[in-house]
Amino acid sequence: MATPELSLALLDRALQLYRDNPRATDWLRRQRARFAEPLRLAVIGPTAAGKSTVADALSSSGRHLRELVPVDTTAVEPDAEPREIRSRCADADAVLCLLRRPWGAEVDLLRAVNEHPAAQAAPVNAVAVLSRADEIGGGRADAVISARQIARRGRREPELRTLCQDVVAVAGQAATAGRTLDAAEFDALSALARMSKEELEAQLLSVQRFAAADAPLPVEAGVRERLLDKLGLFGVRLAITLVRQGNDTQPALTAQLAQRSGLGELRETIERLLVARAEVLKARAALLALDVLLRSEPRPGSAALLGELDRILAGAHEFNELRLASALRADPALLPDGLGDEAARLIGEHGPGPAERLGLREPPAAELHEALQDALRRWRVLAHSRELGAAARRAAMTVLRSCETIAIGGAPARPEYF
Amino acid sequence: MASPWLGILDDTIQACVTQNRPDLAQPLWERRSRLLEPTLRVLVLGEPGQGKSQLINALVSAQVCAVGDDLTTRVPAIVEYAETPSAAMIGQPDQDGRGAIEAGAESRRLLPVPVESVTHRANRDATTPGGDVVHARIGLPRPLLQAGITLVDTPPTGVAGTRNLSTVLSEVLRADAVLFVTDATSELSATELELLEQVTRICPTVLVALTKIDIVPGWRDVAEHDRDRLAAAEVPATVVPVSATLRLAAARNSDRALNAESGFEELVHRLRHDWLGRSEELNQRSVAAISEVTLTRLTTALHEKYAAVQHGSAGDAVTRWHAAGREVEQLQHASARGQTLLADGVADLTSDLEYDLRDRTRKILREVDEYFEAADPSRTWPEFEDWLHDQLTEVAETNFGWLFERFDWLARALARHIAPHRPDLAPDVGGGDAPLEHASGLRKPNVEKFSVGQQLFVGMRGSYGGLLMFGLATTVAGMPLINPISLGAGAAFGLKSVFEERGSRLKRRQTVAKTAAHRHVDDFFLACSKESRDATRRLQRLLRDRYTEYAEQRRAEITASAKQLKQSVDKETAERNRRVREISAGLDTLNELRDRVRSLPGQVRASVTPAPRELTA
Repeated sequence: MATPELSLALLDRALQLYRDNPRATDWLRRQRARFAEPLRLAVIGPTAAGKSTVADALSSSGRHLRELVPVDTTAVEPDAEPREIRSRCADADAVLCLLRRPWGAEVDLLRAVNEHPAAQAAPVNAVAVLSRADEIGGGRADAVISARQIARRGRREPELRTLCQDVVAVAGQAATAGRTLDAAEFDALSALARMSKEELEAQLLSVQRFAAADAPLPVEAGVRERLLDKLGLFGVRLAITLVRQGNDTQPALTAQLAQRSGLGELRETIERLLVARAEVLKARAALLALDVLLRSEPRPGSAALLGELDRILAGAHEFNELRLASALRADPALLPDGLGDEAARLIGEHGPGPAERLGLREPPAAELHEALQDALRRWRVLAHSRELGAAARRAAMTVLRSCETIAIGGAPARPEYF
Repeated sequence: MASPWLGILDDTIQACVTQNRPDLAQPLWERRSRLLEPTLRVLVLGEPGQGKSQLINALVSAQVCAVGDDLTTRVPAIVEYAETPSAAMIGQPDQDGRGAIEAGAESRRLLPVPVESVTHRANRDATTPGGDVVHARIGLPRPLLQAGITLVDTPPTGVAGTRNLSTVLSEVLRADAVLFVTDATSELSATELELLEQVTRICPTVLVALTKIDIVPGWRDVAEHDRDRLAAAEVPATVVPVSATLRLAAARNSDRALNAESGFEELVHRLRHDWLGRSEELNQRSVAAISEVTLTRLTTALHEKYAAVQHGSAGDAVTRWHAAGREVEQLQHASARGQTLLADGVADLTSDLEYDLRDRTRKILREVDEYFEAADPSRTWPEFEDWLHDQLTEVAETNFGWLFERFDWLARALARHIAPHRPDLAPDVGGGDAPLEHASGLRKPNVEKFSVGQQLFVGMRGSYGGLLMFGLATTVAGMPLINPISLGAGAAFGLKSVFEERGSRLKRRQTVAKTAAHRHVDDFFLACSKESRDATRRLQRLLRDRYTEYAEQRRAEITASAKQLKQSVDKETAERNRRVREISAGLDTLNELRDRVRSLPGQVRASVTPAPRELTA
């Protein structure tokens, strides 16, 4: 049985155990009901890290994320009590942790999120976001690209890697501003884009220059200030560059701004790492909630359920897949000879269905079967190969297990719960 | 020219040497040699990504320090004056640690490299395994540098896996001033403030450069907040907002207005006038700060020493000495009580044993009496003798066994009382043999046998009366004196007297046997009880001597150690008094020196130094 089903079964047993306790029953029913609800995503981060910007950007982004509800975007300082930080994430299935920089005190926040003992067993629900990528790059037009490099390095850092699934960079302010631009502001951007490069660059050197009342620019000072407010200097520079490159309608500009400021990557990451794995993450959240209940209200029989819970957490192959996916992202050379790509596919990085895992499109059953047998054979050999290191062999073992899961039950298709 | 600060610094170093603290003297020596150099060495410090390298580039208007977005600077770069641009990578010397910035480059490998690429290569070298570049040196013909400023770009602080605080602080000691870089995108963080506090304590000449004001619309608020935070933390540092981007753009276009906007004019002005122009004052301030810190540490150490001397081990010795006295007293007491216990125990024991012996012998006698009521000693004597011997042997064994058992118990009880921690003190009383020889030696009493002749004689004598009596009576009937009737009567009478005689003789024999047995048992009792008493006394003496000896020995031991303790207490007291005098003298010297430090003109520390606080680090 897959972890979500096991978790549901366990919740039912807990409901039976606590049937005379209305509060516990309510709590358990809520956990159970959440399996049918959208994924709850907590967006946490210190003051001015851009939480609401990112949350807005996600909730308004339409079809991709309709299965996602951002919860709780109030500021949490890195020096807050870990208990408080955890309580903010308690209601969420997944956590988006905004950091200004991937080092120092801010990482403590991420550490606190993972401090729950049961959470440590499966630290797979957090994604770290370098949310002010434009500042890291000094506001240059290519700031997001260098911030991405920092994120990539963060991904490889042993500690950060164990704390979150991935690190992505996004220039939050510029990313969302596109939608809020009014016609006057868009016209202003167009007007600025028509200026000669040298003249404009001189005025774009600093916020002060750009906003100065007597600046030799074809746009009113008030509008310029509004542009700075909405886009930031980086956003203004990027927007003008984009308009110059031919994105001269507002929808095109908005889409390009979101894409260039890293929001696209963030959405894609959330879709791939969180939404696609919603069932597992919900199961995980439910297990953690059940863990809290069983520990805070012990009674005869609760110890047995706790044992069962630990068994599920430890044996959940889905979590192993998530961990391996994270390890593969951090170190693509974990498996030799380009096997990393195939491994990522087989553990469901490109989609959870059997066809997606096997890299086939709408295949006839026979072909699917053949591909599966082939994968099973090759990964079984790899998992026991003496030429691979211990870490690679472990990774291969996980992939093999994924193949076996496809073989015995078909891939964990979305189960019907209600 | 003899500067007052130099004298004070030398005296502080001397004080460190006197207090035997070379660890504190070492930084002072470094600071001294630094102060005597004509140039002003400015250390550029800050957390990652704040724009330290870019700030230096902007100051010298040249891209000499590599800049990037992600932990670019790995090794320090020293930017100083040279008539023509030049650069070199300085390799690792033989034993010195990586990351240290040293002025003397003579002993090191020097690798000339083009100016534009020197830091790139140095950083790359530092990140490749086995790279041994310690720092990069860059010479540039710039008026600011010519005026005497040397800029030192440093790897960022506050990142795991890079330099720790003590490395940073030791670098600060080798610099004259610190340019702390923080960017305007966020306010000063707690870690930054903490570092600044530590730095200003040993180097009060600090400027905070607020960088990247070109991209932050609200930088003025950030600057204000930073100033407030610095004031709240009592860090005497000025905040100068700058934009390296604007300054570099201004340099490219020779744009004076842009240069003014960049804020660098103020920064350079401060470097030139506040720092270079008032180097004497700076030196005084620097000496005052570091001397103050050093003196505080020395004073604290002395105070601690004083406290330690006051409640040191001496008090312990006195306590132990008193304890020894009490122990002797207790020992005497226990010993006297032990003797009483022994006497009492022995008295009880003697009485119990005697009663036991008496009781047992009496029981035997009763049995003897019963036995000889029926038995004929002449026939059963050997059998009886064996029986009695066995009985008495058993009595002696039991009684003596009991004696030793009781003594053993008594010895242990006493040992527990006198020396509870020495269970081995009780002597092994052991078994000891019962005096069995007294059981034997029963003399057979003289028992007369009733021989056939005697029987015949007694029979004859008895029959004579009968014969005569019936013979005479029958003569009346005309029968002869000797007739069958008289003969029959004579025989009957004879037989009767024989039987009677036999019975009385048996009685006599039994009485004699009883008497003999009684006498023997009495003798046995007497001898045995004598032996028992003797054994008791012997054992009593053994125990008494044993315990007395032990008590004496203990007393001697304790007295000896008490004497030693007393001597050491006396010695320690003398030593302590000497130390106290020494420490007081040291403290006086330090206080005097501190007064001189505080009287140095133009120091800002006086108002900033936190109230005398314990330095721990």
